[in-house]
Amino acid sequence: MSGYPEYMQESLRLVEKTRPERIGKAFPFMKTEEKQKILKDWHPDFKEGTKRMLKIGPSKGQLMPNEVVDILESHPLIGPGDIDLSDIAYDVDVLIIGAGGAGMSAALLAQESGLDIDRILMVQKLRLGDANSKMSQGGIQAADGVDDSPTRHYLDIMGGGRFTNNPDLVEILVKDGPNVIKWHESLGVMYDKNPDGAMKVESGGGTSRKRMHSCKDYTGLEITRVLLDEFLNREIPYLEFTPVAELITDEMGQVAGAVLWDMDSDEYLVARAKSTVLATGGFGRLHIQGYATTNHYGSTADGVVLAYHVGASLRDLDSTQFHPTGAAFPEQIVGQLCTEALRGRGSQPVNKHGELFVHPLETRDVESSAYIRECYERDNGIVTPTGMRGVWLDTPLIDIIHGPGTAEREFSAMNRMFGKFNIDIRKEPMLVFPTLHYQNGGVEINTRCESNIPGLFAAGEVCGGIHGKNRLMGNSQLDLYVFGRRVGVFTAERAKKARVGKLTLNHIDRYERWLAEAGIKTDRRAPLLLPEYRGKKTLEHQLKLL
Amino acid sequence: MKLSYYPGCTLKTTAKSFDGSTIASARALGIELVELPRWNCCGTVHSLAKDDVMHYLAPIRNLIRVEEMNSQGLVDEKRAVTQCAMCYNTLKRANAAANDDTEKMKKIRDVMDEEPKYSGGVEVTHFLEVLRGLGWSKISDRVVKPLKGLKVAPYYGCLLLRPRGFGIDDPDNPMVMESLLETLGAEVVDIPFKSKCCGAYHTVHMKEVVADLSHRILTQASDGGSDLVATACPLCEFNLGSRQKEMKSCFRGFKQIPVVYYTQLMTLAFGLGEEASAFGLNDPDPRPLLKERGLH
Amino acid sequence: MGMDESGMITIYVMGKKHRVPADLTIMKAMEYAGHQFRRGAGCRGGFCGACSTIYRKKGSYKLQGALACQKMVEDEMYIAQIPFSPAEKKTYNVDELKADANTFLEYYPEIARCLCCNTCTKACPQDIKVMDYVQAALRGDIQEAAKLSFDCLSCGLCAVRCPAEIVPYNIGQLARRLYSKYVMGPTEHVLKRASEVEEGRFDDEISGLKSLDKAELQKLYEARDMKV
Repeated sequence: MSGYPEYMQESLRLVEKTRPERIGKAFPFMKTEEKQKILKDWHPDFKEGTKRMLKIGPSKGQLMPNEVVDILESHPLIGPGDIDLSDIAYDVDVLIIGAGGAGMSAALLAQESGLDIDRILMVQKLRLGDANSKMSQGGIQAADGVDDSPTRHYLDIMGGGRFTNNPDLVEILVKDGPNVIKWHESLGVMYDKNPDGAMKVESGGGTSRKRMHSCKDYTGLEITRVLLDEFLNREIPYLEFTPVAELITDEMGQVAGAVLWDMDSDEYLVARAKSTVLATGGFGRLHIQGYATTNHYGSTADGVVLAYHVGASLRDLDSTQFHPTGAAFPEQIVGQLCTEALRGRGSQPVNKHGELFVHPLETRDVESSAYIRECYERDNGIVTPTGMRGVWLDTPLIDIIHGPGTAEREFSAMNRMFGKFNIDIRKEPMLVFPTLHYQNGGVEINTRCESNIPGLFAAGEVCGGIHGKNRLMGNSQLDLYVFGRRVGVFTAERAKKARVGKLTLNHIDRYERWLAEAGIKTDRRAPLLLPEYRGKKTLEHQLKLL
Repeated sequence: MKLSYYPGCTLKTTAKSFDGSTIASARALGIELVELPRWNCCGTVHSLAKDDVMHYLAPIRNLIRVEEMNSQGLVDEKRAVTQCAMCYNTLKRANAAANDDTEKMKKIRDVMDEEPKYSGGVEVTHFLEVLRGLGWSKISDRVVKPLKGLKVAPYYGCLLLRPRGFGIDDPDNPMVMESLLETLGAEVVDIPFKSKCCGAYHTVHMKEVVADLSHRILTQASDGGSDLVATACPLCEFNLGSRQKEMKSCFRGFKQIPVVYYTQLMTLAFGLGEEASAFGLNDPDPRPLLKERGLH
Repeated sequence: MGMDESGMITIYVMGKKHRVPADLTIMKAMEYAGHQFRRGAGCRGGFCGACSTIYRKKGSYKLQGALACQKMVEDEMYIAQIPFSPAEKKTYNVDELKADANTFLEYYPEIARCLCCNTCTKACPQDIKVMDYVQAALRGDIQEAAKLSFDCLSCGLCAVRCPAEIVPYNIGQLARRLYSKYVMGPTEHVLKRASEVEEGRFDDEISGLKSLDKAELQKLYEARDMKV
């Protein structure tokens, strides 16, 4: 019983027919020039008319997707007159905005660094633990293998990022990798291991060694739930369903806390803090170029907007990561992530004729471009009943190569996701197409996670400079914990000496002036906080693509 | 011969020596005890309220597992063998209720609609019944080191013998453990309190009750000349054994005496080695005494 | 009512009737009907457990559990969301715990109340054998409890339905941490590499790479040996 409609069956038969000859077949990696060309021709980042230059602020002149510029060239949600800054509800040393992997790590390390728990406050827009961190499937990179080294990891990252990464940040990322895994294990994270007790590791796009550590295909879920359990054990104060409407500054030009908004009571609360950490994640729910996304409900780039309102510098927002294998069928799961680990374990991207048309593990930017080209220039994709195009990801290869039971054991989440729609990925391929996945750029930070505004720190997906123009699989997971831990340590340190001055929201007036001076007339307001899916808009977001 | 084995929670945690010595001595007699897959806690202590359907789910689910095992050819009979007296009592009485009360069984079936229907055909037996069924001569054949000179007081406790119709032997004058011990070559010390309560669950919040009841049993055993007491229930083993600290402090002149599981004595007589016997887990430690008798 | 030619069906959200397209998930159907989620939506992909939902189908007395983002609507479905379960999570220091049954009994003594009714398993949207892992924990089989509970999202539906008031996902979480930390233990080569980094073994190599210009670095990158 196939999970696919009748008209797709012929192509499926071709996929089955060509499978034996494709097993273990090596498709050559593209040469540099070929990669550059395919990106220019087919990667959504390079599509005409999808970006424009930001007209205001310290990063004026940078090219960014229209959707990002829209929220930056928007009015703040509140005016200075709306808030009574003398009525302080929370007064802490560290305010952490966002409770994903980076946010929770920051809270734990801030506490471990000696801060009293009452001097820490973590605020979360939605449910505690809800974040892109939790959704990561395939793995986290760290160079702890016997035949591997942080040096190799460094080279892989720089190359993958097209050499635009900040080398100091990459150095920290690779060196701290093994320690992060050690930390996770001490907390009780269940990593997959080989019978001899060594870490079971796999390959990812652009990696020269197998160093993807996994917890089946629920890696993010496993790590974040252990961290959440530990976070709750330490009784660090937190607020759920409390997004930030605007940061607060002081007369010395520091960031001094935030205006919180209680989603249940609709009231504003003032939180004063010596250091404020943005751990707000990415921008998938902006649906850049109308793409579906792998991201969670709250990924509306709030942190980037908040940071920009106070004058922080941004970088590399012209670069958006599309994950090559987002589900393309059935329609109910379009855009959802199908882990790169599927390719790591042998699945191949195959066109409607059953042909392998690209190496399965090019870096994500190149891989995505290849799938888009295959569907649009070469017209070799499958068209779904809703007009979406996709290529096959031949997953039955996994059990054939590694033995029956492998897919069931290692890809619980994938089996379940497709199984609900009668597609048994052990017997039939998946249909995939690139999906909006990761914010490569963001708030510029230094090695201490400091932005250029004193008192404002950032960690995780909201930052730019670590991954350059293209992130490799498993490095975002690593980034969260490396920089999340560091920001906890550094903000705890800073608490000893920092002094907060008189609170102000004057930066809002300044932002309004920037908008006025640039002649921007709009009724848009930001941060967005929640995407709009009500009514017929729901249907729009399900279908449109190019 | 393969039989379904229901260990119960206690044998997997605080009574591991009972579990290990049971499996080892069974194997020595040609019986493979195959552990029930996906077994759950029996519910412990049979619910006496007639309208309490909920408490039957746990034991009956285990009986369904036994039927499954048998139909899958994993075991030779539709029989569950258990060792823990509490589990034995609970499973057996739940089984009887399932067979006698169709109204109750219908409700249970409706709630457990994700399981196959229980036909009622499983036999719940205690390991002592299996041994008795084998025949003492078969057991005697397996003895390589008769427990010569060892004086043992068998102790049954309550749940193995009551209520009538469910017990494995006459509650006033049980004989099965006595016969077994004699077959192993030991000298049996018959004590009047061999089926009197040890204090059971009072061990949790009223240790002094346990200390009182149990010390009388042990004193009879010592006075009768016993070297040690053999028991067939993990709670009794705990009360008679580990609570001797409390007995020492409550009762002047109390003489400590080792308490072991009868299956441990079987492994000793069968010469199965220290790992099977696991005497190190008993409190007080019986090994000094066994060494003295030349048996260890 | 049934599905009409336009492909619409009837659902009831917290008792309110709506006509929605038949091919939507519960989450998208609720949004189609005009509901903006604050609680009850998270990853939207079946990984976070935020959208726990209870529903009945017409004519059935059974109450069923699902994740709103993964479950398709059906005609005459009665839907309610349970975005929060008031369960108590005990605090503990995992460094001080033992990996045995007593740990569970100490922190979550209600686990001994398990009736083995299997209601938790029936409520679980991830098809986990919930009762089985709770029972495994009860008898100290940490490995089994960890393995069986692995796909748990802590959505809370089991806790909300359990008649013995057990919170199974707390048990699973504790079992998994104990299993990894004490039964599996830390990985040798990870500890070794972490020490090596701390001792500065890779400092010079990486500084060397940092000092190269883009062209040189690119050459090294293209020439690197791939062992995958």
